[in-house]
Amino acid sequence: MKNERKRTFLLITIPILALFICFNTIPLIRGVIYSFTNFKGFGSYDWVGLRNYADLFTDARVGRSYWFTFKLAVVTTIVVNVLSLLLALALNSHIRAKSFFRGAYFLPNILGSLVVAYIFNYFFTYILPALADMIGIEALRTSILSNPATAWIGVMVVCAWQAIAMNTIIYISGLQTVPEDVYEAGGLDGATGWKQFKYLTFPLIIPFFSINMVLCIKNFLMVFDQIMALTKGGPAQSTESISYLIYNNGMSGGQFGFQSANAVVFFIVIVIVSVAQMKFSSKKEEQL
Amino acid sequence: MKSRNGKYLGVVLCGVTAAAMLSGCGSEANSNVTEIEIVQYKPEAANYFTMVEEEFNATHDDIHLTISSPNDAMTILKTRFIREDYPDIIGIGGDINYSYFVDAEILMDISDYAGLANINQGYLDIDESLELVPTDGIFAVPYVANAAGILYNRDMFEEHGWEIPTNWAELNALCETIQAEGILPFYFGFKDTWTCLAPWNSMAVDLAPADATKQVNRGETNFATEYREVSEKYLTLLQYGPDDPFAYGYNDACTAFARGESAMYPIGSYAAPQILSVNPDLNMDSFVMPANDSADANTLNSGIDLQFSVLAECPNKEAAYEVLDFLYEDVNLQKYIDAQTAIPCKKGDFALPTILDGMTEYIASGNMTDYPDHYYPSEMAVDAQIQTFLLKKDVDAFLQKFDTDWLRYNRDIIRLVQEYERQHGNAD
Amino acid sequence: MIEKKTNISAMTVLILGLATIALPLYLTVVIAFKQPSEMTNSISGILSLPKTWSLNNFKEAMEITDFWHSLRNSLLITGLSVVLSITVHSLMGYALGRNKAKSKFYSFVYLFIVSGMFVPFAILMMPLAKQTAELGLANWFGVIILYVVFYMPMNVLLYSGYLVNIPMALEEAAKVDGTSTWRTYWKIIFPIMKPMHATVAVLTALAVWNDVMTPLVIMAGSGENTLPLAQLNFQSQFGTNYNLAFASYLLSLIPILIFYVICQKQILNGVVNGAVK
Repeated sequence: MKNERKRTFLLITIPILALFICFNTIPLIRGVIYSFTNFKGFGSYDWVGLRNYADLFTDARVGRSYWFTFKLAVVTTIVVNVLSLLLALALNSHIRAKSFFRGAYFLPNILGSLVVAYIFNYFFTYILPALADMIGIEALRTSILSNPATAWIGVMVVCAWQAIAMNTIIYISGLQTVPEDVYEAGGLDGATGWKQFKYLTFPLIIPFFSINMVLCIKNFLMVFDQIMALTKGGPAQSTESISYLIYNNGMSGGQFGFQSANAVVFFIVIVIVSVAQMKFSSKKEEQL
Repeated sequence: MKSRNGKYLGVVLCGVTAAAMLSGCGSEANSNVTEIEIVQYKPEAANYFTMVEEEFNATHDDIHLTISSPNDAMTILKTRFIREDYPDIIGIGGDINYSYFVDAEILMDISDYAGLANINQGYLDIDESLELVPTDGIFAVPYVANAAGILYNRDMFEEHGWEIPTNWAELNALCETIQAEGILPFYFGFKDTWTCLAPWNSMAVDLAPADATKQVNRGETNFATEYREVSEKYLTLLQYGPDDPFAYGYNDACTAFARGESAMYPIGSYAAPQILSVNPDLNMDSFVMPANDSADANTLNSGIDLQFSVLAECPNKEAAYEVLDFLYEDVNLQKYIDAQTAIPCKKGDFALPTILDGMTEYIASGNMTDYPDHYYPSEMAVDAQIQTFLLKKDVDAFLQKFDTDWLRYNRDIIRLVQEYERQHGNAD
Repeated sequence: MIEKKTNISAMTVLILGLATIALPLYLTVVIAFKQPSEMTNSISGILSLPKTWSLNNFKEAMEITDFWHSLRNSLLITGLSVVLSITVHSLMGYALGRNKAKSKFYSFVYLFIVSGMFVPFAILMMPLAKQTAELGLANWFGVIILYVVFYMPMNVLLYSGYLVNIPMALEEAAKVDGTSTWRTYWKIIFPIMKPMHATVAVLTALAVWNDVMTPLVIMAGSGENTLPLAQLNFQSQFGTNYNLAFASYLLSLIPILIFYVICQKQILNGVVNGAVK
C-alpha cells in the first residue's frame, strides 16, 4: 500500500521534472555555453573564452541599458506604489458604487501591454503636444518620446498606467485584513489622517507592501513590450531595456554569443535583487 | 475515466510531441510537386510578389511557389537561421547581412545560373566587393537597385522658380531662399532610426572614399578623418528641417512631404510608393545630393536594393532556377520597377520611373557609388549613433565613438581580413 | 452604530483617477471609427465623436491582420495552456506538497522548480529558439509546452501552498477503503482545490493571452500569428492610417474585455489569491 503511494508520486514527478529540465534547465545551460562563443546565430563559431564578459563591462550601450532599466524600475515602482496605495485607501473607504470602481480600476491590467503602448504612442506623438499647445505648456509641445532626456518618462507612464491596477487590488485586500477595532482604539488615542495611516494602517499591511515591491521590481526589470511598441529603444538608444537589447541584438543583430553573456549576467542580477528583496522584507516583518 | 486518461499524461505529452514533429516534417513530402519558398524583405512590395506567386502557380504544375513578405524580415530570417529552418530562396538587399550569409556559407554558389549573363556587371561587382574576404563563386542575382538623394516637389519648385543645386553652396543658398519664403526646406522622419542613414549615405559618397571602411580595416586611416566633413555638413542640413524631427517616423515624414509640407525630402527612391500612396497627384522628381563643394565630385548614391540568393540547403536547384527565370522575365521586372520606382539590374530596355529623371544622367554614365552603410555591421547600430549625434551635435564625440566601436564590432572581420592577406598576400 | 457618510474626498479622487483610464479608451474607440479626413489637431476635434459609425475600418483591419485566424490561434494557445497548467501543475504541486517535508529528494525538486521563477526569459530565449526547432516544436504547440514550463514554478508554489490546508485525514479515509493514490487524487483532492484552479486559470490565461515575446521568438516566420503578434507584424502596413490601426487595436482588445465583463469577480479574486498566497 505504501509502495503504491510512493510509486504514484514518482510517476507523477519524474515526467514533469523531465519536461521542466528539458525546457528550462537545459536551455539555461546552453545559454551559458553560447556565452563563451562568438556565435552569430548562424554559420560557424569559435570559442572566445571570457571575451564576451570582458566586453560586457566596457560596452557603453550595455551599461546604458542597465542604467535605463534600473532607473525605470525604481521610479515606476515608487510611483506605482504611492498612487495605488492612495487609490486603495480611497476604494476601501466608505464610498458609493464600490464594486464598479474596483472593476474599472483593474481594467488596464488585463489589456495587452503591446497594444496599450501602441495607443499611448499615438497620444504622446500627436494628442499631448496638441493639448500642450492649447494650454501653453512649452515643455510638452514636442513629443516626449522624441527627446532622449524625457522618452523614459513616456515608458514609465505606460508601465505605471497598467501596473497600478494590480497593486491597488493587492493593497485593498491588505486593508481589508485590518480589523475595524484597530481604528476605533486608535481613534480614542487621537490618531487621525496621516498619523493613523503611518502608525496603525501601514504597519499592518507591510506584507502586502513587500508583495507589491517584489512584483513591481521584477516586472519592470524585464520590460519589453512597451519598449517594442513605444520607442524601439530610441531616441539615441536612450530607452533600450536589457531584455530589448538582448532580443534585438541577439536575435537579429548577429550578437547571439555576446548577448548570451549579457543574459547570463542579467540572470545573476535578477537573482541578487530577488534574494536581497526577500531578505529585506522578511527582516522588516520581523521587526514589527 | 479521468484517472486513466491522466495516468499516462507524460506518455501522452511525448506522444503528441512526436505527432507534432511528424506532421511538421510530413507536410512537404506529398506527391511530385516541388515546393519552393521565397522570403523577401520588402513588405512594401508584398502586392507585387503576391501577383508573381499567383501567376507562377497558374502556369506551372510541377512547382508550387510560396512567397512571403513579412514585416521586419531580417529578424525573422535570422531567427529562422538560428532554428536552421531555411527557405529555398531569399530576397534581401546588398548589405552587410549578405556579407555575413556568404561568410557563414549558407548561400549556394550559383555561378552556373544562365540568367547571370543578362545582369549588369557593375552590380555583380558590388556583390563581390561586399564579400568580407574574396570568396570563389557567385551567391546572389541582383534584381533592382535604388538611388538616394533628394526628392523634391516639382510643382513647388516651378512655381517659385527655384533651380536644382549642383554643389554644397548652391544647396545652402536654395535652403535659405526656401526658408525665407516661409516654406520648410526638408522633412525628416528620424524617429525611425534607419532614416538617419539616408542623408548620411548620400553625402558620404560625395565626401569620403568609396572604400573607406576597407581602408580602416587595413589600418590605413580612421573615420575621424574620413567622416568629419560629412558629419559637419549633416548638422547644417538639420537646420533646414522641422523643429522636432525626432518626433516623426518614416511614414509621418512621407505623409508630410506628400501633402506639400516641405519642398524637399532627403531619402531614397524607395520612398516614392509610400509618398504616392498618400497623394497620387504629387509631381515629384529627384536630384543627386550635392554635398561636395565641387559639382564634379558628386556621385549618385546607388546600391542593390533587392537581390535573390538560393540557400545552400535548397534541395531543388533546378526548380529554384526556374523560379528565378520567371522573376527576371522582362515583363515582371518592369512591373516591379513601375510599382516600386526602382532601377533594374538587368540589361535591356526598361522604362525608368519619372521620379528618377533628375538622376538618369548619373545612372547612364555609371557615376554611382554603393551605400556606405552596406558595409557597417548591423549590431554596431550606426543608424542609432547618427541619431544620437544629430541630437547632441557633438562631432568629435561622435567620430571618436565611431572609431572605437568600429574596431570592437569588426574585430572578427578585421582578423579574418588580416588572416586572408597573410595567406594570399595583399590583394591590391 | 452611527450611519457612515460617503467619503466625499475619496469619491473625488476616484472619479478624477477614473478619467485617466477612461480617456485613452474613449479616444481609442472614437479614433477607430473615424476617417483619416476627420483627424485634426485641435482638442475639440480630437474629442469629438465620429461623423458616422461605420464598421469599414474594422472590416479592413480584420482583412489586413487576418483577425479570425489570429483569434483562433490565441484562443487555442490560451485554452490549452490553461487546461494543461491546471492538470500538470496541480499534480506536481500535490506530489511535491505532500512529500517535501519528509523527503530530501522531493524538497530538492520543489526548490529546484520554484527557483525557476528567477530565470528571466531573456536568457532562455535564444537557446529555446534553437531547441524548439531541433525538436520540431517551432509552432503553436511548442509555445504551449513552453508556457506549461514557464508558469510551473509559480503554480506549483500556489498548489503546494494550498495543500497545506487540506487535511491528510481525507486521503487516509480513502486509503482505508483501498482506493489507489491516483484515484484518491482525482476523486477527492483535485475537486477540493477548485478555488486554486480558478486562480491558476485566471493568472495563466491573462499572462498567456497578452504575451508577445514567446510567440515572437518561437513562431516568427511560420505564417501563424497570435493577436498581439499580428499587431506587431502588421504595424508598418497601417502606414499613417491611424484610424485603421486603432480599429485593429480595438479588435484585439475586445475579446479580453468581454471576458473581463463576464468574469470580473473571478478574475479579481484569482489575481489577489495568486499574489497574496
